[in-house]
Amino acid sequence: MSVRVIDQAGIRQLVEKLQQEAKVVAPHRREGRDQWAFQEVTDPDLITLEYTTTTLPPKQFAWPPRETLIRARLGEGPVQAEPVVEVEPLVLFGVHPCDIYGLQSLDIAYCHEHVDPNYVARRQQMRIVGVDCVPDEWCFCASMGTASVDSGYDLFLTPLDGEYLVEVGTEAGEAMLEGITTREPTAAEIKEVKRRLAKKLDQDHKIHTDYHNLPLRFAGAANSPVWEKHAERCYSCGTCVLTCPLCMCFDVLDEIKLDLSETRRDRVWDGCMLEPFAEVASGENFREERFQRLRHRHFRKYAYLFTKFGRPYCCGCGRCVRQCLVHIDPVEIINDLLEEHEKGGVTHGA
Amino acid sequence: MALELTPCDMESDLYVPRPAQVVLVEPQTSMETLVRLRLESGEDLGHVPGQFVQLYLPAIGEAPFGLASSAGKPDASFDLCVRRLGDVTGAVHKLQPGEHVGVRGPFGNGFNMDELKGFDLLIVAGGIGLVPLRSVIQHLAEHRDDFEKITVLYGFKAPVERLFAADLEAWAQTMDVRLTIDRPHPDWDGHVGVITTLFPALEVVPQRTKALVVGPPIMYQFVLTECRLKGLVDDNILMSLERRMRCGVGKCGHCQINGKYVCTDGPVFSFSEVKHMWEAI
Repeated sequence: MSVRVIDQAGIRQLVEKLQQEAKVVAPHRREGRDQWAFQEVTDPDLITLEYTTTTLPPKQFAWPPRETLIRARLGEGPVQAEPVVEVEPLVLFGVHPCDIYGLQSLDIAYCHEHVDPNYVARRQQMRIVGVDCVPDEWCFCASMGTASVDSGYDLFLTPLDGEYLVEVGTEAGEAMLEGITTREPTAAEIKEVKRRLAKKLDQDHKIHTDYHNLPLRFAGAANSPVWEKHAERCYSCGTCVLTCPLCMCFDVLDEIKLDLSETRRDRVWDGCMLEPFAEVASGENFREERFQRLRHRHFRKYAYLFTKFGRPYCCGCGRCVRQCLVHIDPVEIINDLLEEHEKGGVTHGA
Repeated sequence: MALELTPCDMESDLYVPRPAQVVLVEPQTSMETLVRLRLESGEDLGHVPGQFVQLYLPAIGEAPFGLASSAGKPDASFDLCVRRLGDVTGAVHKLQPGEHVGVRGPFGNGFNMDELKGFDLLIVAGGIGLVPLRSVIQHLAEHRDDFEKITVLYGFKAPVERLFAADLEAWAQTMDVRLTIDRPHPDWDGHVGVITTLFPALEVVPQRTKALVVGPPIMYQFVLTECRLKGLVDDNILMSLERRMRCGVGKCGHCQINGKYVCTDGPVFSFSEVKHMWEAI
């Protein structure tokens, strides 16, 4: 696949071209704040391509906070439920490597064993233009191996001085560039990708082991006091879940149309940090304590799903700690566990 | 980059219930009622004992229920037995024959009946734990010659809470069925005491015995200890676990116990698996 250089006018030209065929969503600065959000593009000049991170990840465009799964007519006769899939062509423009990794991870989970029709329909209509990022003090992508991605995008932009290097990832990406003014990159410009990555990998906020060791380190960490230590500050508010690009648990709700002609079943985001998540009909709650829920969430990311799917279910974006009211930090938790392991003070669960 | 899948990978009906009709309603106790269903298409549900379905009542909701009957009934019907606890179960208790519902599934692994062949079976049911085990026991009764000695232990709080009274009598013709209630009761002249008090009198040959245990969470640790004391190895102690479930297909996350999903990896687990899952019992 080819590598080109595109300037600001070219970016505008590209966005306008993409808008002919699809809704284009890109990061915008929130007015008066150092915060960014993915929003539909109205004016390509308002897009911010150089940003630290968005408050919410782009998962909402593949998996909305609320969506209808089925609809059924109410009245006499057999239950006639039909699937509902509402989807439109979409371009996510300006997605960081960590968030691309997040979407790829949701793809794996939503296609495992049973293929989720609603998620997949949306992802099949989605194109992704990635952009390299500017990490802040909460990012820990270097620790999770997600500071760069080599797939999952149609185009990937790396900022040069006022211009962007464009790596083409797919044939669809190649087609996107047709008719857009670009030029050949110089050898120095191609090297800029590696230089930026090397700079990015130098992060102070990091876990003190290779992330591949995490499932093994977690295996002995069930009864660690570390969970209670960190859960003491937790409000069980679920912000970490809400802002996580890889959290994907949901609840379902049944709604009735006001004229009683129809009912629908919606799925809404849910989170294992919320108290009723593991409660059963008899009233038994299998994760009643806050530390149990905090432990479960971290085991899910660094052990259970890591073992199941072969990759950590954390992309190191740092949103959970950045947005947490009390800054509960997975990096600190992991480092505490590692330190405890070094001291040999960990006992096995079960 | 868009996700690329072939059409055959798609499951467009993953969340869509199949239409079914109520064939029979048979209250069991003041709290539990048996509901017999049949798919409107007339097809057999095609389940194995121990699997579950998601029962859908339009505008009310959907909830998981263990199947309470064996597969392959001549009229293609299948049974659920539901305790009245919430919105969906409350509405189930109001269902009448001829009414229409929706069913997704069968889901979960169920019991591997072939692996039980040639073994003595010790079935331990606490309270409504007998409901999913009824699918197993019916299967055993229908294929009685394929299995060796079968012992059914069933514990419940009081005589009025006994489920499937007629079934229990019928099963007792070909199986060793032992009942117990928790505390003495004027209407009861049988065994009294929690279910573990039935164990001392049992003759078990551990090398050729498999135990199938279903009951409330509190029951497991005590029954598992008794099974081990009888010499059963952990691989031969099977249990079915209950968790909250919203999707039934390994997506929603609610039923997760440590690294396992009850809906797709279970609900049947061996004690060998469960003992490494500290959230299980």
